[in-house]
Amino acid sequence: MPLPLLGLLLVLPALAVIVLLFVVPLAASVVGAFVVADGFGLGNFVKTFALYTPDIVFTVLIVSLSTALIGAFAIAIGGYLTLGENPRAVAILRWLYRWPMFIPFIVVGQVLRTFLARNGLMNNVLIGAGLITPLDATSFLDWRGIVIAFVWKQTPFVALLVAGAMASVDRGTLEAARNLGASRARILIEILVPQVATTLMVSLVLSFVTMMSVLSVPLMINAQSPTMITADIAFRINAYGDYGVANALGLVSLAISACAAIVYLRHSVRERA
Amino acid sequence: MNDDAFLSITDLSVGYGATRVLEHLRLTIGRGEFVALLGASGCGKTTLLRAIAGFVAPSAGAIAVAGRDVTRLPPDRRGMALVFQSYALWPHMSVAKNIGYGLKLKGLPRTAIDRRVGEIEALLGLSGLGARKPGALSGGQRQRVALGRALAVDPQILLLDEPLSNLDARIRLKVRHEIRALQQRLGITAVHVTHDREEAMAMADRVVVMEAGRIAQAGTPEEIYNRPASAFVAAFMGAENMLALNGTVAGDKIHIAAGPHHGAAAVPRDGRVLASGALEARFRAEAVQLETLDAPRATEGLALSGHVEAVSYLGGAWRHSVRIGQTPVFADAEHALAPRTAVRLTIPAEKLFLFDTPSPSGAAAPATDTHPTATRASRPDRVREPVIS
Repeated sequence: MPLPLLGLLLVLPALAVIVLLFVVPLAASVVGAFVVADGFGLGNFVKTFALYTPDIVFTVLIVSLSTALIGAFAIAIGGYLTLGENPRAVAILRWLYRWPMFIPFIVVGQVLRTFLARNGLMNNVLIGAGLITPLDATSFLDWRGIVIAFVWKQTPFVALLVAGAMASVDRGTLEAARNLGASRARILIEILVPQVATTLMVSLVLSFVTMMSVLSVPLMINAQSPTMITADIAFRINAYGDYGVANALGLVSLAISACAAIVYLRHSVRERA
Repeated sequence: MNDDAFLSITDLSVGYGATRVLEHLRLTIGRGEFVALLGASGCGKTTLLRAIAGFVAPSAGAIAVAGRDVTRLPPDRRGMALVFQSYALWPHMSVAKNIGYGLKLKGLPRTAIDRRVGEIEALLGLSGLGARKPGALSGGQRQRVALGRALAVDPQILLLDEPLSNLDARIRLKVRHEIRALQQRLGITAVHVTHDREEAMAMADRVVVMEAGRIAQAGTPEEIYNRPASAFVAAFMGAENMLALNGTVAGDKIHIAAGPHHGAAAVPRDGRVLASGALEARFRAEAVQLETLDAPRATEGLALSGHVEAVSYLGGAWRHSVRIGQTPVFADAEHALAPRTAVRLTIPAEKLFLFDTPSPSGAAAPATDTHPTATRASRPDRVREPVIS
């Protein structure tokens, strides 16, 4: 058998898995988004934007805000792990910060539901401490709850990658800045973060895409309107069996994720220029 | 030279955990002086430099600059700038930004920063490279940017942590003269860490040889090279050949007793503090007059007899491995002598370094009863471990 054919044969199983489990369903969904009662058309998209434009905007805002907060917290954690001068505090933080990574989204939703509710643990503690009166207690089970859940769950992942990248930065570059009189905050922002910018961007894009696809958190924390696209997709399928609009919504969220990827690619191309 | 003691280090001790790296170290450096800290890996020279710079907190002792105690001050308040071994340039900033960062931190206006960066670039031959990133520079250029970044803030003291070790050999020779010339032109005080004795001698006014966290000897390059204070310094400065001798100190002379492979000799004491008895002699391969045994004796000094074992050309001279009794030594000569030739080695008195043999005479000292001249040679390719007395 000629060598090229043999090579093809060897990759065939992997290729088949990708085609059958990934390409075919994706193509079916994309095609399905354009299927209307009498053939092909844009009917599903018209209906999607008419019914769900507020939800699409809501989703973009929630996920963008969460991504920004995750980035800020991850930089703070990674920065403290790298620049912190109290070895005990650094050791405790290093041990502590990863735990949320191992907790599934649905458990995060469940935990935060009981924590953030109007008569939940958070308000009880605040009332008990005399910081607020029972009348002031409000439920955080709305957009704020989703953001808190996302940030709580995704920060460790980004912090893990960012802290790893920061640890491999030449410490001389930090000491050189300190030698010239830079404060720790300036070292973090002007010296350390730019050197791990690529890792930070990649992990934030991955987080963005992960959050776009989470269903359990919006369902458990924010069962009201507006809600996130994933909840709408589930609703279209479960309540109406309407795969057309569900596929159109899926395509919209794919487009939003692609935007995040394009932002990243443009940034990395400019970095290299 | 260092009467004014611009940088003075008093009883400095530094330890990491239970390990003591520096022990009661004292050193004074004059204004405008170029001092090289020379030693093998792990002798504490980089730790001393980092303690001076303020990156390592000493457990005891004091560091003062021009009479001002800086021991507890942060690195940026000491008037010093450090050039790192890895250069530690910021890869995301251009050359101009790297050089100007210290000035930006000082809050200088942009025009003043640009002017100063221009001056530094011109001084170091970096003009036209200001917009480049460090990744687009050669090793030598990066090294100069690192130097420029340190000099831009106009430090009183320049600290150099093996700044040439990442350059290839030819550029290194050029850059060490450039740094020396620059230091003289600017009149800046400089402390340079290196493990390369030639580099230390070529660059420094004064060489400080360090051994296991202490100063083994400090002096001008000539002093260190020609009058080593200990066997360790002699070995580190290239006098790798070692012989065990017996001698008697009498007045201004040291009388070396004859042995089976060497004749008797008398060398001037020359102010050396020695006790009569077992002596450790050290000499360089190039200090030796090597000739065939039947040739007439041309030079005064200690004469050794042996035979050639191997010979190789080093460029400029032939290096012979000669066996003196049981001991191999190296000796250079302009002409090659064939292996198995019986030869005489004459070491002139001023090039023969003598030290008391460290006691107790355990594993370190040769058994003198069976072979009076039995010696222990150290291999030139390896730095000899310090003899603990």
